[in-house]
Amino acid sequence: MTAAQARRVVWVHGDSLSVTDPALSACPDAPALFVFDRPFLQVVPVAFPRLAFMYQGVRDLAAHRTGPTEIRVGAVPDELAAFAGAHHAAELHVTRNFTPDFARIVEGLRAARPDLRIVIHEPERLTSFDGPLRRFFGFWKKVEREVLHGEPAPDFPRRGHR
Amino acid sequence: MTDPVRLPLDLPDDQLPRVLGEALAGLYTGEPRLPARAGGRTAGLAALHAWTGEGYAGRNFLGGNVSRLSMYLRHGMLGLREVAAHARAVMRGRGRDEFLRQLTWAEFYRLVLRQEGARVLGNLEDPKYPARWTDTLPDDVRGARTGLPCADAWVTHLVRDGWLHNHERLWFAAYLVHWRGVDWRAGYALFREHLLDGDIANNALSWQWVASTFSNKPYFMNQENIDRYSGGRWCRTCRAACPFRASYGELETQLFGTQP
Repeated sequence: MTAAQARRVVWVHGDSLSVTDPALSACPDAPALFVFDRPFLQVVPVAFPRLAFMYQGVRDLAAHRTGPTEIRVGAVPDELAAFAGAHHAAELHVTRNFTPDFARIVEGLRAARPDLRIVIHEPERLTSFDGPLRRFFGFWKKVEREVLHGEPAPDFPRRGHR
Repeated sequence: MTDPVRLPLDLPDDQLPRVLGEALAGLYTGEPRLPARAGGRTAGLAALHAWTGEGYAGRNFLGGNVSRLSMYLRHGMLGLREVAAHARAVMRGRGRDEFLRQLTWAEFYRLVLRQEGARVLGNLEDPKYPARWTDTLPDDVRGARTGLPCADAWVTHLVRDGWLHNHERLWFAAYLVHWRGVDWRAGYALFREHLLDGDIANNALSWQWVASTFSNKPYFMNQENIDRYSGGRWCRTCRAACPFRASYGELETQLFGTQP
């Protein structure tokens, strides 16, 4: 393990429950943390099997990586800050998702630990389309060839439709 | 603030409901029990490799061969690219193209969420008919006591399996929003509570597609459609006063006040 890797931790969230997650792949030896979000779950009803499904996901990735993995229940920014502190981490790695909760948690963590560098990895994409979106049909016309054949069209237009 | 709780990560499944249930006390609904399908990449890969796509052309039938991989995709246990690569390798013809097109909806909805952010939780557009929706999920719907065998079965399947066939999702959504006059967000919340694949993007935007706040017209069905695609599962023995038994034109007038 290099010195740089020793100072990293990974945040594993509900959209990244796999050893192939980009942030986990970038830091295979770093300690990783998944948090069941207590303040969120106190106000948003979630049936138990959904939470058990996620636990099984964390358990599976923990068994398939070299670095240590932890799972906690609490407020996510607080737990991440404490976890990074306990491991003397200078960097926290995470894979982006587009939910408002992700942005809220990252902001909370930045406020709690302004010294901690947050490295956000981009999630895997099926297509390379980056234009504005409105209806699926128009999107499909732009990405059809790429999705069906696994490669972008040679003249792929990187602009929106409509 | 309560002290943080650390959980062991080596709980076998037979201890999982009890130990996780105690650790998460007060943070979930229903009884602590295992999900109908096991979570994790290993289970997801096994499901992916076992799925050949044979008969996917009949995917709109409740008995059709659909992949049931959505819960693994939703949590990142499987990636869209590897599922697409598997489909390209093992599927053939129109079934393959159709599966890849359906997979692309997941990417589309993720990108709409990226574009719109929290706005996806409100109407992205005005509904395409004069809608007056109530906010609350009716108790008889939540309790699967509507008296309609099909509608009650949709809720029962949702709660029991954490998964519904796409056609059942559409029928239930149309029933709730158009026939019962309930705001799509109440249905979104029920799905989010139970669906193993429930996420903001697919869930909110699919409800908005049915409600016509993210589509050009509302989605609805009639009894003939339910009967056909369910293989007569409920209709053959049903004695209820069926609210879906009419032509599309008649229902359109009744529900939306317009004729095509």
